[in-house]
Amino acid sequence: MNLSSILLKVISKLDGERTINAGLHLLRGKRSGQTLQDVEYYGLKAFFGILPKLHSEQFDKAANLLHDSGFISILNDSLVQLTERGLQAVGDLPSFHFNGWDYRGSEMVFFGRLSLIVQTVSNFKVGEKSFMPIQKEQDIQTFVRKLLYNQRLDEPAFAYHLSTELKLALNRSEMNESQKTIITHRLVGHGLTGWTWNQLANNLKLNPNAIRLLFIESLHKLLFVIESSADLPILRKTAENIKVATYLTDSSVKTKQLFNRGLSMEEIAITRKLKVSTIEDHFVEMSIDDREFPLTQFVSMEDAEAVIIKAGEMGTRRLRLLKSEFESLSYFQIRLILGARTGGET
Amino acid sequence: MDIRGILKEKFGFDEFRPGQEDVIRDVITGKDTIAILPTGMGKSLCYQLPAYAMDGQVLIISPLVSLMEDQVAAMKRQGEKRVVALNSFLSYSEKQRIMAEMGQYKFVFISPEMLVQKNVTSHFQTTNVTLLVVDEAHCISQWGFDFRPDYLRIGEFFSGSNRPTVLALTATADDKVIADMTRYLQLKSPTIHRHSVDRPNISYSMVKVNSEGEKTEWIKERTLSTAGPGIIYVASRKRADELASILQQQNVSSASYHAGKEQEDRAFIQEQFINGEIHWICATNAFGMGIHKDDVRQIIHEHVPQAIAGYIQEVGRAGRDGDLSAATLLYSPDDEGRMRFIIQENFPKEREIRYYERLIAENIPSSEAAEMASIHETGKRVIDYYLERMTIEEAILLMDELIREKEAQLQKMLRLIYTNQCIRKEVLACFGENLHSKSKSCCSVCGIEDDRWLMDMKSIVYNKKCMGWQERLIAILG
Repeated sequence: MNLSSILLKVISKLDGERTINAGLHLLRGKRSGQTLQDVEYYGLKAFFGILPKLHSEQFDKAANLLHDSGFISILNDSLVQLTERGLQAVGDLPSFHFNGWDYRGSEMVFFGRLSLIVQTVSNFKVGEKSFMPIQKEQDIQTFVRKLLYNQRLDEPAFAYHLSTELKLALNRSEMNESQKTIITHRLVGHGLTGWTWNQLANNLKLNPNAIRLLFIESLHKLLFVIESSADLPILRKTAENIKVATYLTDSSVKTKQLFNRGLSMEEIAITRKLKVSTIEDHFVEMSIDDREFPLTQFVSMEDAEAVIIKAGEMGTRRLRLLKSEFESLSYFQIRLILGARTGGET
Repeated sequence: MDIRGILKEKFGFDEFRPGQEDVIRDVITGKDTIAILPTGMGKSLCYQLPAYAMDGQVLIISPLVSLMEDQVAAMKRQGEKRVVALNSFLSYSEKQRIMAEMGQYKFVFISPEMLVQKNVTSHFQTTNVTLLVVDEAHCISQWGFDFRPDYLRIGEFFSGSNRPTVLALTATADDKVIADMTRYLQLKSPTIHRHSVDRPNISYSMVKVNSEGEKTEWIKERTLSTAGPGIIYVASRKRADELASILQQQNVSSASYHAGKEQEDRAFIQEQFINGEIHWICATNAFGMGIHKDDVRQIIHEHVPQAIAGYIQEVGRAGRDGDLSAATLLYSPDDEGRMRFIIQENFPKEREIRYYERLIAENIPSSEAAEMASIHETGKRVIDYYLERMTIEEAILLMDELIREKEAQLQKMLRLIYTNQCIRKEVLACFGENLHSKSKSCCSVCGIEDDRWLMDMKSIVYNKKCMGWQERLIAILG
């Protein structure tokens, strides 16, 4: 697993309809109307925000690698397309098990909590009650302190339960051996120091970026197992509030509240001192997120059906192409239709 | 209770380390005090102990969040629970909670940028702070190598009549820096305690090479044939990573450390180094503050430091256990020009300052404006501070003066490198001290009588191996 293989997968979904930068925004989890829309239209939820701090140089390197290997080509209008060889290469890719849409970087908060819990329990088990906490973030420390409050940490039973839960969860998670090695070596205990990304890379003979991607995917796998297992009480508490509660941006939530109170789009724009185009973005987000979105307040059912059928025939989600087929509809209306009617995976 | 009683009861020591007792007595009697103690001499005891002999709160201003957290954790380990850190990494709700409960803390660590926030300032101006500690106080001096403009504001907030006693702590300060500390912290005829910067167990060597490539070769050879633990200071993050991987290829137990690494990785490396699993750290000047390791045997500089004070502070991390240690500085003919370039780059120039001010006047956000005017982060902090307080013409003149001062510091550093006098003597002279007795292992000019210890110790080969995952879990949790 490496960045360029993930990028290849992403490009195969956006094939010929977006520029290469759409991939960068997606991996970073940019919460703009365009990116959120892409996520929905092209079925890219898995990869949304898996690398919040991705540097553009790193991204460019991965993109250039694909280009130099002849997997992708850039069209005149700078849209990116798979080549024949690229198409074959996509077929050879392993299957990825990210769930970026649900976690958006907060899997790292989960791991922060887990590592501090493990470090604390490991130290208390041998009677060591003072140590340098491996997590410096106050929120994580407070969470862990609350979670461990009133637990009998000095008795070996607690450490045993935690160890058993972790073993169970790792076994159920379908992680590969490398992933299990990585995750356990990022944990620290009494007298056992953690391994840096570079040290893991040298030992496992992989590059450091691949290690990090494997790590993030393994956390997504682990969280999936934890959420669906009733017999992992400590880990479930550790994973509390890690999954996003609402998929809407904060700003869209406010717009939605005003809309529910009966305000029109123009009124919302005036009340919130925002441009109408911004409010339109919020509505598109709502159409994607909300199964109950009242689409027919904005377009007729007939138009909606027609657009969906046409999009299927043409095999495109590109607004400009669809707009030229439906002169009477606005871009905004077409975006709402695509949002509400392609909702979920493609 | 007498201070020796407190020393025994609260800290478990029978004796003070050299220099501590005098500082503590002055602080308790309410005198403004400047204490210049080398790293590892127990600076923190100088405010922790008086706190137990005084009523009211102790406010400690500390420049680095990581340093602050280390100190808080260390105090909690000693059993002092009434300690808290207030810095910009706290969430809003955490900060509110701490502010609401502020009365219950005896020791409050705070970052300078936090102190200048309105509600925080007004809180501390009205509560009973008896002692204000300024840690790493040399950061207040624009002549210093670590200048932090936020520090300049500290004095402005505690200028009233019932202001607390101030204790300024630092490891290194020459007369100019002392004058700045006194002036900007508005100290009232402070007592100055200065412990000698001389560290007789450390030898100083200057090694001339012809190129950067030779430096790499020298370091390879050195790390293969002599023992750590050691720190290799380099000029950039990129170089730290590069050198660490070159050494790893030789099987030398090493890792890189700099502020560009993630927090967890930095913590892992620090722990591994302290634990003795890693023997060489290739680091920028981000490594060192707050790291407690007594048996560091070697400090190698692969670049020419910008100022002697910074150099001495880095060298001072060797040999805290009192055993023989070696400091080596490698230099090549290109270094002078390279350092000058870095210094110039850190200070905004006239054209950039004028452009920056024009952009600000056009209501462009300051961080964007700085980027457009190609002013670095440090440069921006410096210029923001001065533009608030003086006209642009004055600020431009001052920048010129600062660059000249930095150049003068670089010249001093270069003199130290090229001198044919005793290096130790020259170092001491820079801090206004005389050399009283000569070390056997003195310096590359006087000769190092006995450095067999260095050769006798075997270098340690890197042999860290991953465990199986189940084995690892059992090792951690059982």
